[in-house]
Amino acid sequence: MRASEDELRGLMISGLDGNAGDHAALLRLLAPLLRAFYRYRADSGQDDIEDLVQETLIAVHTRRGTYDRDRTFTAWLFAIARYKMIDHFRRTRRHQPIEGLEEILTIEGFEDATSARMDVDDLLEILPPKQARMIRATRLDGLSVAEAAAADGIGESDVKVSVHRGLKTLIARIQGGRR
Amino acid sequence: MNTDDLITSLSRDVPPVRRGAVGRRILLGLAAGVLVSIVYVVARMGVRPDLAAAMHGFPFWMKWGYTISLSIGALVMAAQLARPETGRLRGLWLIAIPTVLLAGLGAMELIQTPPGEWLRMWLGHSWMQCPWRVLTLAMPIFAGLLWSFRRLAPTRLRAAGAAAGLAAGAFAATVYCLHCPEVSAIFVLTWYSLGILLATGVGALLGPRLMRW
Repeated sequence: MRASEDELRGLMISGLDGNAGDHAALLRLLAPLLRAFYRYRADSGQDDIEDLVQETLIAVHTRRGTYDRDRTFTAWLFAIARYKMIDHFRRTRRHQPIEGLEEILTIEGFEDATSARMDVDDLLEILPPKQARMIRATRLDGLSVAEAAAADGIGESDVKVSVHRGLKTLIARIQGGRR
Repeated sequence: MNTDDLITSLSRDVPPVRRGAVGRRILLGLAAGVLVSIVYVVARMGVRPDLAAAMHGFPFWMKWGYTISLSIGALVMAAQLARPETGRLRGLWLIAIPTVLLAGLGAMELIQTPPGEWLRMWLGHSWMQCPWRVLTLAMPIFAGLLWSFRRLAPTRLRAAGAAAGLAAGAFAATVYCLHCPEVSAIFVLTWYSLGILLATGVGALLGPRLMRW
């Protein structure tokens, strides 16, 4: 059963007054709540989610002084949960290798490749986000139309139309730029 | 570590938290920083010799009115950004009021002064030092606020850094008034504000790095 805002808030305030039992009860109620929160938002493995839940519980504990007793408890809680999620991904992403970097370095020379990619990025920037994303997926990342559609949760015809329109705009832009 | 075990170990240490803990933490860091700045002005820059007389005059209170009201406005924002659920910032317009008032005073000053004197009035005696001194005095105050914020829970780190920088700059300018003998409104509006803005910029740059938790 999901605990209600009033119940959680009551436990939190009691914990702030120094009642360790209520504080423990609060953290126990928060664990499944946070698990659901992260499972819904973060597309990652079970270990990752449990890490996030624990980090957030620690934050709730160490930063409990920043809760204002007159305000909504869940707003405070989920603000912390969201912050921890962003922070977590920022940290873990930093350790992932940049895709294809080795190839780029050995085959083409790094600068050419990056400036070419930057040109493409600049161009794609003038398009609506969906068109840019679809061109990137089908023409640069090498996904099939069906894969791109599944990845974005849209229909295949939508993908085709987006790519077509986007490319048309780009061609017009490049030709216009030469003149 | 198992989540249940974690909860058990966390719950071993549950000291009571008084109401207003956030405000107290901020004021403590602030007070420590301001104290260091005052000591620096007294010991290194020197308090202006005519301070007692100046405190009976208009320019001194014009300057303090500007810097103190900016300080309060900045603190109001910093206190909001010290909590995770900031939502929409309230009171942003508070810092516009003193700026607009001072600009009005500056305009009146310009009208009453012959244009030939304008440049001298605007640059005063110390325009080159003023912004840097304000920035220097802001550093200990910013450090104090950083000490406060590192135990609080800001989630918009750049905004929190900027607000702390703004507060540090405004309090530093308040302290600097003990030394600075300048009297013109457009001087204060330009060079004091520039120093305060520099401190705000430093805060915005450092916030995301130093306030993470």
